Amino acid sequence: MGPASAAARAVEDRLFRALAVLRVVVLANAVGLNLYRAGNFQHPRWAAAAVVAMVVWTGVALAAYAVVRRRTALLLVADLGLAVGSLAVTPLLKGDGFSASLPGFWVMGALLAWAVHWRWAGGLVAGLVLGGTDLLVREDLTQNNYGNVFLLVIGGPIVGYMCGSLQEMATERDLAQRAAAAAAERVRLARAVHDGVLQVLALVQRRGRELGGDGAQLARLAGEQEAALRRLVQEEASLGRGGDGSDGADGAVPGSGGPATVDLAVALARFEQRAGVTVVVPAEPVLLPGHVAGEVAAAVGACLDNVARHVGEGAPAWVLLDDLGARVEVSVRDEGPGIAPGRLASAEAEGRMGVSGSVVGRLVDLGGTATLSTGAHGTEWELVVRRDAAQEDA
Amino acid sequence: MAERAVRVMVVDDHPMWRDAVERDLQAAGFDVVAVAGTGAEAIARFPAARPQVVVLDLRIPEPDGVEVTARVLRHDPSARVLILSASGEQADVLEAVKAGATGYLVKSASREELLEAVRRVARGDSVFTPGLAGLVLGEFRRMAEGPTAPDPSRDALTDRETEVLRMVAKGLSYKQIAERLVLSHRTVQNHVQNTLRKLQMHNRVELTRYAIEQGLDDG
Repeated sequence: MGPASAAARAVEDRLFRALAVLRVVVLANAVGLNLYRAGNFQHPRWAAAAVVAMVVWTGVALAAYAVVRRRTALLLVADLGLAVGSLAVTPLLKGDGFSASLPGFWVMGALLAWAVHWRWAGGLVAGLVLGGTDLLVREDLTQNNYGNVFLLVIGGPIVGYMCGSLQEMATERDLAQRAAAAAAERVRLARAVHDGVLQVLALVQRRGRELGGDGAQLARLAGEQEAALRRLVQEEASLGRGGDGSDGADGAVPGSGGPATVDLAVALARFEQRAGVTVVVPAEPVLLPGHVAGEVAAAVGACLDNVARHVGEGAPAWVLLDDLGARVEVSVRDEGPGIAPGRLASAEAEGRMGVSGSVVGRLVDLGGTATLSTGAHGTEWELVVRRDAAQEDA
Repeated sequence: MAERAVRVMVVDDHPMWRDAVERDLQAAGFDVVAVAGTGAEAIARFPAARPQVVVLDLRIPEPDGVEVTARVLRHDPSARVLILSASGEQADVLEAVKAGATGYLVKSASREELLEAVRRVARGDSVFTPGLAGLVLGEFRRMAEGPTAPDPSRDALTDRETEVLRMVAKGLSYKQIAERLVLSHRTVQNHVQNTLRKLQMHNRVELTRYAIEQGLDDG
């Protein structure tokens, strides 16, 4: 049951240092009380010798417990033995029918040493031994004596249990700190690796395009991988910054209590892998309830599907995420020929859900708005979600 | 190349990149006056080489690109820094821009894009990608929401500046923006530049405030 880890040993060291102070205090108390009641002793010289022995042993104990390797079973047994002995000799020195024992509270030193070193079991054994001795040497049991014994017997295991808990907590904290340090180091290494890979992918794209032919094919592949790795790095960075345990992935994971929040910036960054799409987000995460972020991302996906269908596969499109605090705006823009007036309305009239259903409907359900502007310069959707509405909805 | 040779310094710790960029710049008529593989080398070589433009990778051995940007511009405020980064992390780019960089390009940009960016930065223009505009916009939004409200006359963007910045972030070219807002190309350029200037100013004020607070605490 000895201390397993360095952290546990540090806790024990600390408690023994505190106990050293306590030992001096209870010794001073015992010496003082015995001087004050010197007249009660039938054998004052032997009593004086016993008090001197307590002083000497306290000195020995302070020196011995200060060093880890001297905290042996032998030391603890001797410590408890002397405490028991000092109780046992009391009737010889004071005669039967004494009221205060010779050591008084001085026995706490041994009791707590057992509790600190052997935790609750040690505290219980020491408490029972000391309590039992105290009861055996007395002629009659007063309410007061019983109270003291009872406190000894329950105090030992309680202190021991708390010492054990402190050691476990210190060990766990130590492990957690080590895990965090290891994770930070992994992140640092991963960054170096990612940066190197991004460099090479960028170079392949640049040179490949210039070579043309097969080179251009290589450049395209490198570009796709670059976008994928960039997204990964951004997701990692977003996770590192926290959010509150959001997995950043496919919408809400209901945690304990409130709905999980999701970084909309990460959710939208996924669209970068579509050809022609540029996603622009702020450096800080944009946290929204999971289902809100999921719906907004789905609406953006529908807008981009529409771009691919009506402007062309791989046509340039831009997604901008703008976090204004009270509300979040997402703009999806293309430079296509625009949507002819009335086309959306007629599609809806014909019973086809189409764009307005999947974009406007989703945003209205969230208490937000979706506005379309279209013309010769292209088409732009402005999606707006209010944070307060999103919270209520959650 | 008719333009008079712009003096450029290339800072990158990957030799293959450094060489490729150097070769492209020289072929286009730029004068590559120095190259460096680490932040320490860059800072040491900058004063003697006196480049007008520093093409800088953010991820370099100590000190990093953000620190190099700040140190180089403190030494010569007329120099220009163009960030050429493969780094997938946007926070780094934003920090470099706050420190005074006026251009940002991803490494996968084509040779022509790189040359055009160096020319523009050398002229004193800023080179904004939609991504950078989004970062700057986000930073102003954050400042407006933050606990220390920015001084509106100095730090906050005007409505027009915000509008222009949003358009850049939505991928519109300066020319398209000028047409839509019925402004001259130069005016759009100025609005964009003002947003950077305000961001850098805010950063300096914050740093000074921080230094004063630290100093007062020490005293």
